[in-house]
Amino acid sequence: MCDIIWCKDCDTVNYLDPYYFWNWEGKIKCAGCENVYYIYMIQGHMYKGPEKKAGEKPDILPVYADKPNDGYEQILPGTPGKTRPYNCLPRHIYLGKADMVKFSARGRPVRGWRPQPPSTGVAGSCGFTWDIQKLSPEVWQEYQEKIKKGEVSEW
Amino acid sequence: MKDQRVTRIEDLPGPKSQGELEEMKMPYEEYCRKVFSPGQEKTKPESLKGIRWLSTTMYIFTPHSVANLAELGAECIKVEMPRMGDPMRHTSPFNECYLYPLHDSRPMTGTGLGFTNANSNEYYITMDYHVPEMKEAFYRLVKLSDGLTECYRPGTFDRWKQSYRYLQELNPRFIYVWGGGFGYGPKVFGGSYDILGQAHAGLASVTGFHEDFGGHCTKHSNWCIDWYSGTQITVAILAALYWRRKTGLGTMIEFSQVQAATRCLGYTVPLYGRFGIVRQRWGNWDTQLCVHGIILCGKSDYPDEPNPQLKYEARYAVVSAFNDPDFKELCAIIGRNDLWDQYKTLQDRVRPQAQIAIYKALEEWAADKTRSQVVKTLTDAGLLAMPVMNDKEVYECEHFRQRGTIRWLDDPVFGDLLIQSGYSCGLMSKTPRRVNWLWRPVGADNVKIYHEMLGYPMSKIEEWYEKNLI
Ligand SMILES: [Zn+2]
Repeated sequence: MCDIIWCKDCDTVNYLDPYYFWNWEGKIKCAGCENVYYIYMIQGHMYKGPEKKAGEKPDILPVYADKPNDGYEQILPGTPGKTRPYNCLPRHIYLGKADMVKFSARGRPVRGWRPQPPSTGVAGSCGFTWDIQKLSPEVWQEYQEKIKKGEVSEW
Repeated sequence: MKDQRVTRIEDLPGPKSQGELEEMKMPYEEYCRKVFSPGQEKTKPESLKGIRWLSTTMYIFTPHSVANLAELGAECIKVEMPRMGDPMRHTSPFNECYLYPLHDSRPMTGTGLGFTNANSNEYYITMDYHVPEMKEAFYRLVKLSDGLTECYRPGTFDRWKQSYRYLQELNPRFIYVWGGGFGYGPKVFGGSYDILGQAHAGLASVTGFHEDFGGHCTKHSNWCIDWYSGTQITVAILAALYWRRKTGLGTMIEFSQVQAATRCLGYTVPLYGRFGIVRQRWGNWDTQLCVHGIILCGKSDYPDEPNPQLKYEARYAVVSAFNDPDFKELCAIIGRNDLWDQYKTLQDRVRPQAQIAIYKALEEWAADKTRSQVVKTLTDAGLLAMPVMNDKEVYECEHFRQRGTIRWLDDPVFGDLLIQSGYSCGLMSKTPRRVNWLWRPVGADNVKIYHEMLGYPMSKIEEWYEKNLI
């Protein structure tokens, strides 16, 4: 079950995600226009509203909205001023770009950057140890600095 | 012939030497710490040493069946497509945290973290076994191995003349595993993956919140049926190895992932069989016990953390107080003695309307508290409460740390990595699991296997490599 406020003025469907609005009373702004709607939900069911409250300040924005009669034009989560910021997506590392790190969370080297120095033997075979000092002297140097600064931990 | 007049220490019950006598005097806790000694795994023997296994697998589910063997000491050889490797290397979570390299001919392409834990301790070779030129090398590997796990569509290896029917002719002791979606039967061409397994086996239908609560059926965030199925295959392999010791013969194991998940349904199936009742989802509450569920607390334990999982989501706690005195105590703590008056027996409390009222009252009480405050208040009163921990908290948890469940691995190729893998399985005092390395680049052991083990000359290997056959 997912409750909606279908704004008749601008023909926008505002989706209220069911967990958040399980027991909720307050005002929501339409993602399509400046309308503000009062609702009161109890145990996931609409108990009062939606009632138009023109000019009042909204408590919250919808999480997502679309216009089904308008070719399903979407107003995605996190659209400023229209939908709620999507807190699951705040960090650049969640946006599908490879996050290249040289050091693990505890500050020791990992082999995580590109391009890699070639180390191949015959037919792509590779040795059983990666000698960071030899293959990546600049990372080794950076590591020594980190040790000195106390940025490397045991756990 | 034993001399009856002499008492020999080895005939007596109890410790057999001074060392064992000391061990017997140890408190049990200390004894466990000594015999399991996390961190000392590599000083002990490996139970499956001497077993050689081939892995022509991809993704998580079938690779994991082989990783289990490798962590127990079997020599496992993973075969990947030349230059490309297991697609799982490119299928890590969308916040790609690449470790490099995939292969030295592709220095810009890395392997993602999704690949971790599923192929540990293995040797990595490449082979395009569609090509007739490579058949001989493949068959020679089979002759020198105890078994193979594959995950191609049913019948593919048969078409390529390398199914159980062909391989048992070469090596009658060979144990052959096919692991995949549906297996033979009406849905033979159906592929599968974890979410499909969870859905098709009926498991997702009993996971998540009821629709009356605004809920949906829910898949588990991680690929738990992949991991679970892989382990179930390993159990079958170990049984097959034991069977071979008795008979000298190999066997074929056919493992359908969508079938495996039905095992997790517990009483759901017998419930239907006996009463015709289709089990419903009940979310974080228990259908048989109340209070016995997960509640949402109002405040985060980490209000100042930038990471939203900590800042907003570290708010759940398990509360268990289902017997009458505990429930009475809980009602007193949350200031709702009226609930105790209303629901004095478990029978009253487990009814849906009662659960709705009770959990609502609990969450109202917790609305102005952090999860830690809730857990502390309830624990101090002698009730059972636990935070729902996230990975950071599990990492920091002293209990897991002392047992070595999660630990840092200085991987020989990839450097410092935090892993659980083999250490999250059961402990073994004499022959523990261990992780030597997490994975190796594509084709990293071509020379080791083709030249050193099978004896092909280096010129042949270079020729295959030039032609993209390996
Ligand atoms: Zn509107």
